[in-house]
Amino acid sequence: MTLQFKPNETFRRDFTYRNSSAAILHFPFPFPEDQYMYSVNIEPHVKGGASPAYDHVFDVDEHYVAECRERAQVLAEDPKRCQVLPHMMAAQWDTLELLMENLAADYPAHFSLTKAGDLWTWINRPLGLHQSFTFGKAETLPCPPFEYITRQAQGDFTLQDQREDNLYVDGGMVTTQADWSFEFDIGMSFHEWHGPVPLAHEKGVFDRALKYLLRLQYGAPVRRLNWTMTINPRLDTSPENYPVWGPDKASVTPENVGQKVHLRVELQTLYRLPRSNAILFGIRCYLASLEEVARVPKWGKRLHRVLRDLHPDIEAYKGLPRFRQMAVDYLAPLDDGAELSKGIQSELTAL
Amino acid sequence: MSDQGIKSRPKYAPLELDPAGRHHLLLVEGPALPAEALAEGFEPAAFETWTVVNRSALLPVQVVDAQGESVRPFRAKGHLFSALEERLARETMGLRLYATGSEPFLWDVARIADAAGMSRQEIRLAQAGSKARRVFCVHCRTYGEGVTTSIFTCGGCGASLFVRDHFSRRHAAYMGVQVDAEVPGAVPDAEELYA
Ligand code: HEM
Repeated sequence: MTLQFKPNETFRRDFTYRNSSAAILHFPFPFPEDQYMYSVNIEPHVKGGASPAYDHVFDVDEHYVAECRERAQVLAEDPKRCQVLPHMMAAQWDTLELLMENLAADYPAHFSLTKAGDLWTWINRPLGLHQSFTFGKAETLPCPPFEYITRQAQGDFTLQDQREDNLYVDGGMVTTQADWSFEFDIGMSFHEWHGPVPLAHEKGVFDRALKYLLRLQYGAPVRRLNWTMTINPRLDTSPENYPVWGPDKASVTPENVGQKVHLRVELQTLYRLPRSNAILFGIRCYLASLEEVARVPKWGKRLHRVLRDLHPDIEAYKGLPRFRQMAVDYLAPLDDGAELSKGIQSELTAL
Repeated sequence: MSDQGIKSRPKYAPLELDPAGRHHLLLVEGPALPAEALAEGFEPAAFETWTVVNRSALLPVQVVDAQGESVRPFRAKGHLFSALEERLARETMGLRLYATGSEPFLWDVARIADAAGMSRQEIRLAQAGSKARRVFCVHCRTYGEGVTTSIFTCGGCGASLFVRDHFSRRHAAYMGVQVDAEVPGAVPDAEELYA
């Protein structure tokens, strides 16, 4: 797919963000079955598979330039959305290396990285950047290495330090989050930052997930999908700005529900980092309106069933009660009750 | 007390000596050890104890009483914290830290210990006395102290904040989130929960 960037899209005020037909087929639809419940849904992050979003280590799409601009705007308003504790310097360089090497390998038309010993040259064509620097010397970059490279990527990133058989979220670039505060959570352990999630603790999901992650190997990244729903294509649904976006939830009507309510999917990837032994967690956010999702018949039907039968504790936790029923009513006429194939694939080659 | 089911809310246990320690420093947010904070068989003489007496006319010198208990009184919490920072900066391995008092006191201690490089296993905390909370306004970053109700007004941005059970050890505070963000003005009655 050749990427046609849409640099003027917005994720606030007039919300001009839309998905092209290609982007809809690229959307990582999160429901392999007609019901949804929390589980340890982790699989190897290898290329190929059920969604085209899996075809690159770090997925770049038509929204890339606009999302980087939105991130810069959030950081200008609130610099603390990017913080890394001082003991994580090696993990910062690990992150920069991982992102630069994979972006350059996966998208050679857009990014290039050349190395002469420790002297590296990075070219980011979509953003018009050309930077020579010395790897390991922070003063040769315009800002610290983790911030430098995550300003040039879609999705949020956090850095987990591993010690005392636990993970601690000791760094992050968090501007496109689904209602959790990095400034509040920084320094927490795995079970602490997951504290507000219902049901999953009791099911042992977090005990098993942590055990799995503590053994994560360098070179063998893993992924999982997570989802919620967002009103308007708004990337920054942070608790910090909840007074700004909260009223949107009360603005949904049966007439506008198809355009206003968005399925928000996070393609989460986890990488063991080589020098620091830390774990990089990528949270790549995709937004598609109900109308867009329903252009894939299988997805429209399945989303209807999942939302209709959703566990009330999960509905409350994800903040859906004000509009879930309207979304179900919007999707119901599109669902003929036919049996759907297992898995998330769209089963279409074009729209 | 109502339970919101949030697992980051700390749990505490009565204080017991950690036999793996070489030296035991006990911090008390008050003039005397509260019995509710101590496990059965607790032996005060095994500890070096620091207390807070809220009085200016005293010197923080260690006194060993007739029972062999060593107690060092401080004028206020801040006074004790500055001595603690200085003490931990020159401690060697083997120290165990114990604290009892209100939650904000316990986690202020934990933060100082963390900054000094102590691990979580080397610290034991027991809540005693007031259950009033420190709350961090997630919108404007103002701390509210002594919060005893389910909803209170932020002293910084004026939002009506719901006190979530989500607790940050680093901030030594619970999270406050605007309760009427979706429908401004729809503020439920506050309940007295954390007296
Ligand atoms: C190690 C990196 C990870 C980080 C930094 C992270 C962070 C978070 C955060 C901040 C939340 C929101 C909690 C809140 O409401 O405040 C969350 C939710 C959740 N996390 Fe994780 N997580 C990680 C890995 C995982 C893994 C490996 C699993 C696998 C089972 C998992 C499962 C979940 C689930 C089920 C939720 C609830 C999501 C929802 O219903 O919207 N997380 N995570």
